[in-house]
Amino acid sequence: MGLRSLARQGLLVVCCLLWSLPLRAGVLDWLWSSGEGPAEVVVTAPYVEWRTGPAIGYPVFHASEKGEWLTLLKQKTRWIKVRDSRDREGWVLQDDLSTGTLTADGQVAIGPRPDRDDFTDRGGEVVAMMGDFEGAAAISAAASWQFTHNLALEVQASQVLGSRSEIRLANLSIQHQPFPGWRLTPYLTMGGGYAWISPKATLAQTERRQNPTAHIGLGLRYYVADRYFLRAEVRDYKVFTDRTTNEEVTEWKLGLGIFF
Amino acid sequence: METRTRYFLLKVIIASAFALAIVATPEDALAQSEREPPLIEPDVEPQPVEQALVDSENFEVAAVAGWLNIEDFGSSFMYGGRLTYNISESFFVEAGLGFAEAEDTSFERLAGDVQLLPDDDRDYRWYNLNLGYRLLPGEAFFPGGYVFNTNFYLTAGAGATDFAGDNRFTINYGAGYQMLFTDSLSAHINVRQHLFDSDILGEDKTFVNTEVSAAISVFF
Repeated sequence: MGLRSLARQGLLVVCCLLWSLPLRAGVLDWLWSSGEGPAEVVVTAPYVEWRTGPAIGYPVFHASEKGEWLTLLKQKTRWIKVRDSRDREGWVLQDDLSTGTLTADGQVAIGPRPDRDDFTDRGGEVVAMMGDFEGAAAISAAASWQFTHNLALEVQASQVLGSRSEIRLANLSIQHQPFPGWRLTPYLTMGGGYAWISPKATLAQTERRQNPTAHIGLGLRYYVADRYFLRAEVRDYKVFTDRTTNEEVTEWKLGLGIFF
Repeated sequence: METRTRYFLLKVIIASAFALAIVATPEDALAQSEREPPLIEPDVEPQPVEQALVDSENFEVAAVAGWLNIEDFGSSFMYGGRLTYNISESFFVEAGLGFAEAEDTSFERLAGDVQLLPDDDRDYRWYNLNLGYRLLPGEAFFPGGYVFNTNFYLTAGAGATDFAGDNRFTINYGAGYQMLFTDSLSAHINVRQHLFDSDILGEDKTFVNTEVSAAISVFF
């Protein structure tokens, strides 16, 4: 009976939402319109090819000749949706628009795809990594701010899922990369944070511990393409405990990052 | 009178041209020897690139609902969310969350008044970080001239599952089919396998849980 009333309430909420949607024209426009932008470009290359979707797997169905005007609508990864004077719509490769079209005042409307130079000049990155923390599986998410070509500040949150305990780590670290221009570029990292350790025990009642940590580490970044790169890292953690000895833990991780 | 003025002006021009030539020649000659003059003068001045002329839609947020088969604990309704970033036309990264509630085991149902897990521990929650690859982009044609772009994709990743008072490292893999109704709105069907080791039922074993779900997603 409870489930049925819940379902009825849910249905009511969905109906209300659907009903209110047309009232919110902004939302509807965003969902259904093709997002017309003001940018118009003229084709300067002999022709540019159109595809039916934003990927190389979609077929070419049309081409715009030199001198035709195109309206730029939206971008998905390296594809830009365009509309011509006869209201046809299709997807054109970013590089084709970058080299083969100009705006009315002679500007390049779309820049080329991000490349290694953009990787070198990145302002920051977001990374997801997985690996091993002293025999237990570790999952991490990190965000960093590259404030010079060589130095970056990074926050990292990790979850370590062992069979005997679960550890959550939060760290702040400073990174230095001596060769920012290389495709495969090493870096050094050091910093500190906190570790929250909750042991898994079925028999004894155990208490959660919270300990400060410090770490040093060494890592590598490898630029792949577009906006993404691979990252590998080894860290040596020191966990400052209340007991007579501190704990030392080695962690290694591999991950995928996106830079901005 | 006019010719005299003109003659005088001509002399001034020639004299200044000579003066200019004497002053300018060494520099020019140096410049000439250093770099070749351009063969064709560009018609337009190079202008700074303005990236913001076009709105990019590489993020996708999805609401997910479906069934989760929890090994030994029956099949339950599940719901969740996913946030996707399309890093290229083929690859995407995805962060997902999911919730379900485990049913009774067959033992509990047969034995009657027995409960293996307290109600709180029946909550099944997970998160994961995945990498996806669009294997087959395509188009679906419907009567009435409707054409929708589609994608068949594979995903794999890892995360954690919180179930029965334990939090376990979980890997998942699966496949999905996406149909884009507009460029900003799409529907997905997913089948995913979630694997983790647990000793809930006494001995350590690998749980293989199957998720069959549908999702509605919006690009932004």
